[in-house]
Amino acid sequence: MRTAPKSYPLSWRILDALERLAAMLWPAGLKGAVPYVMLAPAVLLVGLLVLGLFQIADASLRTLDTTTFLFSEDYSLANYRRALTEPLFAAVAWRSLMAALIVTAVTLIFAFPYAYVMIRTRSPGLRKLLLIALFLPFFIGQVVRAYGWLIILGNQGMVNEALGLVGIAPMRLLYNYPAVLFGLVQYMLPFAVLMLAPALTAIPEEFEAAASSLGANWVRTFVHVVLPLARPGFIGAGVVVVTLSLTDFAIPAILGGGSQDFIANAIYDQFFRTSDQGLGATLTLMLVALGSLVVGLVFTLFGAGTLAMGRARR
Amino acid sequence: MKSLKLPAVSRRGFLGGAAAIGGMTALGLPRAFAAEPEKPRELIVRAWGGSWVDSLKAGVSDSFTKLTGIAIRHDLTEDNEIQPKVWAAVAQKRVPPIHVNWDTTTNATKSALRGVTEDLSDLPNLANVTELAKPVGLDGFPIVNTYGYVYVLAYRPSAFPNGAPKSWKDLLDPKFKGRLAFYNDGIGFHFPAQVAGGGKLDDIPGNMQPAWDFIAKMKEQQPLLGEDPDFTSWFQKGEIDAACTISTNAREARKNGIELAWVVPEEGAKFDTDGLWIPKGLPENELYWAKQYINHALTKEAQQVWLDGLGLPGVVPGLTPPADLVGDPSYPTKPEDFENLIRISSKVQVENESEWFSKFKAIMQG
Repeated sequence: MRTAPKSYPLSWRILDALERLAAMLWPAGLKGAVPYVMLAPAVLLVGLLVLGLFQIADASLRTLDTTTFLFSEDYSLANYRRALTEPLFAAVAWRSLMAALIVTAVTLIFAFPYAYVMIRTRSPGLRKLLLIALFLPFFIGQVVRAYGWLIILGNQGMVNEALGLVGIAPMRLLYNYPAVLFGLVQYMLPFAVLMLAPALTAIPEEFEAAASSLGANWVRTFVHVVLPLARPGFIGAGVVVVTLSLTDFAIPAILGGGSQDFIANAIYDQFFRTSDQGLGATLTLMLVALGSLVVGLVFTLFGAGTLAMGRARR
Repeated sequence: MKSLKLPAVSRRGFLGGAAAIGGMTALGLPRAFAAEPEKPRELIVRAWGGSWVDSLKAGVSDSFTKLTGIAIRHDLTEDNEIQPKVWAAVAQKRVPPIHVNWDTTTNATKSALRGVTEDLSDLPNLANVTELAKPVGLDGFPIVNTYGYVYVLAYRPSAFPNGAPKSWKDLLDPKFKGRLAFYNDGIGFHFPAQVAGGGKLDDIPGNMQPAWDFIAKMKEQQPLLGEDPDFTSWFQKGEIDAACTISTNAREARKNGIELAWVVPEEGAKFDTDGLWIPKGLPENELYWAKQYINHALTKEAQQVWLDGLGLPGVVPGLTPPADLVGDPSYPTKPEDFENLIRISSKVQVENESEWFSKFKAIMQG
């Protein structure tokens, strides 16, 4: 016996109609093109960025005439010569690169135990607590967090007040290189944990139990089982942290007291303080090149880690 | 008195203008200008934040709105950041993002040299201003300077128990290590450093080695480098004892209860000006009213209130200094008051500023 038409739910009818509409707009013959169409927005976005890079490259080859504040019609390598020979830019680039490497190493050291406990804990309460503590900083912008450190670490801040209680005179905790590194590590930690967590989740707990049952203590298990298997996570987290640190602007500007500029700060100065967009564009391209070089080196030596979306595990 | 050139007047504009005849008188315009073009709903004036914009609003913007009915929106984008936006708009023949730019004369001169500023020579109230209003080294009035200011040595009196500092060299005392602040590009300090370093002002820009040598010595003191709001914050939080900053910031900090005083040291202090200008590319009626805004800013009444707030000497004769600044070296009014102030032409500054900033940065970041 046929079911009465009224028993055919409305939601099904809507879905049928939508399917008919989709078939009309996108015939079955074009099914193979669907992935490419879905890729189109990303390609468009990357294309725009590449177009921007071409414009930046064009600007980098033009020099500023300070009698008219117009850029030269002719191309020259003068900006590149300046960028490579002036001690200021070498100092700033070296500081940025060193900071990126130090921050990456320290962040990974702190992020790993956090991610490990978050993944392996049997306590749902602790896992929730760690997740909340992980995501909370994402709701607070980088600038606000940096200003928070000004309040905590300032001459009249909480830390110095606490030191004062035990008779220690206020000391300068801010506006130096260590303060910038500290701020960056604190900023990067959640990124690193988020990148490490999937890699640790993918390590079966049985592997650790097997190592233990074969007589390995926790140190040997950690060194010979967990760390090697977590390598994709380390690479993914490392690449993210190193690139974000290398290109950071706000933390050096706020916690560095004006004397700990990174490359991004030098670029800002050229674009907005001296109106020399040509030199600013040159520094921008050199920063892109430096970042790409570091990432390329990591990929060449260690593979793409979790950023390869699982390919590295084959 | 010069006349403003008027574009074609619409009926609506004419009626609007007729309604504002009373206001025009107060703006310093003759009645012939009452047939003004259509009024825009608002004008956008770029300004600095805090007490700076509060003073502009109280002295110029509010009274302009009262007289004309045109609302003033203050755009607090940094002067350095609005500049490329305006330049790009003019180059692409778009309407610029602001009607009036309140700018440093040095920055404004860059825009004038680039040719993106409207000529303001026909403002009627220019007939009543002092020589300070005229930009040095430029033809006509692509900018109108509206007041002067001094980069003083601001200090915390308790940190100088033997009395106020007399020289910039006093800051080299080891007890001030890490307790000083300068602008992060060194602006305001290059010229006094030239004198403190044993050089001559006449050697600027040809030989500024004495300035760089003195700045290198100052670097050993590990000073903080920042912008206007940083100085107030650092003084307030006890981070610094002395700074080279604009007197307005020091005065504002003192008004907020921070223990602070300031001097012009024996080597001198940099005197500079700020001004107002209009970017090219505005519709004719908006250009007209933007000019009226600047013209209004040059009236004695507007200057008095605006500059009382800033604590700075204006460009209209007969202004009364605020009570707390009578006789203050940061508020020069007579020729002899300028003897210890250093003024270098905008053109020289503009052409060399990039190099000076880089040099200062290279020393401080090294």
